[in-house]
Amino acid sequence: MTAVIRAELQRLWRRKPMTLAALGALLFSVVATLTVFSGAPASGPVGPQGGTTLELLGRQGGGTEAFAVGASFIGFFVFVTFIALLASEFSGGTYRALLLRNPHRLQVIIGKLVGILIVAAGVVLLAEVATFIISLLAAPGQDVSTSDWFSAGSAVDAVKDFGTVFAGVAGWAIFGTTLAFVFRSAPLALGVGFAWAGPFENITVDSWTTGYRVFPGQVLRAVINGGTPELGLSRALLTGALYAGVAAAISLLLLARRDVTA
Amino acid sequence: MTTSALSTTGLTKRYGERTAVDGLDLELPTGVVAGFVGPNGAGKTTTMAMLLGLVRPTSGTAAVLGHPIDHPSAYLHDVGALIESPAFYPALTGIENLRVFATVGGHDPDRIPALLELVGLEGRGDDRYRGYSLGMKQRLGIASALLGDPKLLILDEPSNGLDPQGMREMRDLIGRLAGSGRTVLVSSHVLSELEQVCDWLVLIDTGRTLYQGPAADFLAGSDGLAVAPERPEDLLALADLLVAGGHLVEVRDDHLMAFMDGDAKRAAAAVNRAAFDAGIVLVELHAQRSSLEERYLSMVQGGAL
Repeated sequence: MTAVIRAELQRLWRRKPMTLAALGALLFSVVATLTVFSGAPASGPVGPQGGTTLELLGRQGGGTEAFAVGASFIGFFVFVTFIALLASEFSGGTYRALLLRNPHRLQVIIGKLVGILIVAAGVVLLAEVATFIISLLAAPGQDVSTSDWFSAGSAVDAVKDFGTVFAGVAGWAIFGTTLAFVFRSAPLALGVGFAWAGPFENITVDSWTTGYRVFPGQVLRAVINGGTPELGLSRALLTGALYAGVAAAISLLLLARRDVTA
Repeated sequence: MTTSALSTTGLTKRYGERTAVDGLDLELPTGVVAGFVGPNGAGKTTTMAMLLGLVRPTSGTAAVLGHPIDHPSAYLHDVGALIESPAFYPALTGIENLRVFATVGGHDPDRIPALLELVGLEGRGDDRYRGYSLGMKQRLGIASALLGDPKLLILDEPSNGLDPQGMREMRDLIGRLAGSGRTVLVSSHVLSELEQVCDWLVLIDTGRTLYQGPAADFLAGSDGLAVAPERPEDLLALADLLVAGGHLVEVRDDHLMAFMDGDAKRAAAAVNRAAFDAGIVLVELHAQRSSLEERYLSMVQGGAL
């Protein structure tokens, strides 16, 4: 499987995709920081959908707060990206071509997923570091103190923020991969994934709040946010892991039974 | 030690009600360049996909390089294949694509420049795959199949979609690949392409074997004399003469084909003499071998040989 991971990294580690990924991370950092700092109220309760206040930004972990808040919006982007990347492997025939070199289907799929997630981890880390630096630049303008941002506790918070965001990214990646595997067609998988994680979940939870705790998209949003009022982090991680296990089981079943004809 | 590069026994693949491959029995000796012949939908690609572990047989058994096909990891490192159409990453260059596949297969990437030269893509390896012509894509697919210096090369319709020049280049390339004791199985429905490079033939139709064996044996007995009378009305009388002379005769437009087993010159002299004695003037009399296509069509349309 390491050969597949190395091949995937070889494929992705090129100037153009890496530059685009880095620019995307930087753009995210700028937009997230400016939006969070300019939109945050001075103090008060945090809304049900997350968010923060200038008071919280000035405390321990405030340097990566904009990263954590902004990251709640990237899950869907990750989802769509993984569907597009993996489904095109099936429809374009490169999955078949890879199996001619390594017939272990599970190794090929997991190797590709791990390879992409390694790159994703780098992009997430870059986004977090960049958000911290931009937050340092933006803080004085909003009278936010940065003295607590360099404490050991802030470092722990930064690691935790990275961990929850990456766990959420990995969860979206697994769901995206599963949909890609089920449908083997990028447009079809994207359509179904978009309809489910977009309108369906978000409209349904307005009238059925249990959806915040059971819908995969809502669970992963809670993971990325480090927990929400409706779903705590540990429960979200547990539920997310359960869903990921089910998704992996579906993929494994299809892997074992399906002929590779594309 | 096995002498078969691949073998199948009763290999069958059904998709619901449709039978794509129907009890196929094959035996391919090592070192041959085998043409896998059949019309579109005959089951060639499905058979190849089963041999490569991509498609699971409904029933039957098969072995590649002595290993059963339910363990493709045991033999795939010695097999190079281009099946259906070439599949690469469009945004990557030819060289980058080959590096990715070399890494997955554990092959030596240092072979890439030589392979590009072998398939005639030298100087184009740094171009993006999406900009390649169809012929270049096919050739890159063959270079990819050769990454592991395989003992068995399986090529599925490598000339598909190529122009006449491209088909000729592909034919020459397959001829070059056939050396070094490598076994090549190449499928096509363009029989004239295979006729010139293959020394072994496997003919199938509707998923069943029609013939397998040396190409020379398949075409043996197809040596004949093309005979045409000056007057078209003498055609039937001439046919009777040839039949009386012990020839198997086919009427083809304005001339006859008289098949024979012996020496062509001697047979031509006998035909000429008999026609002269019967008062029939010949305007055409020459030895002619049926093409693979003619032979195949006569087999498919006329039943067994």
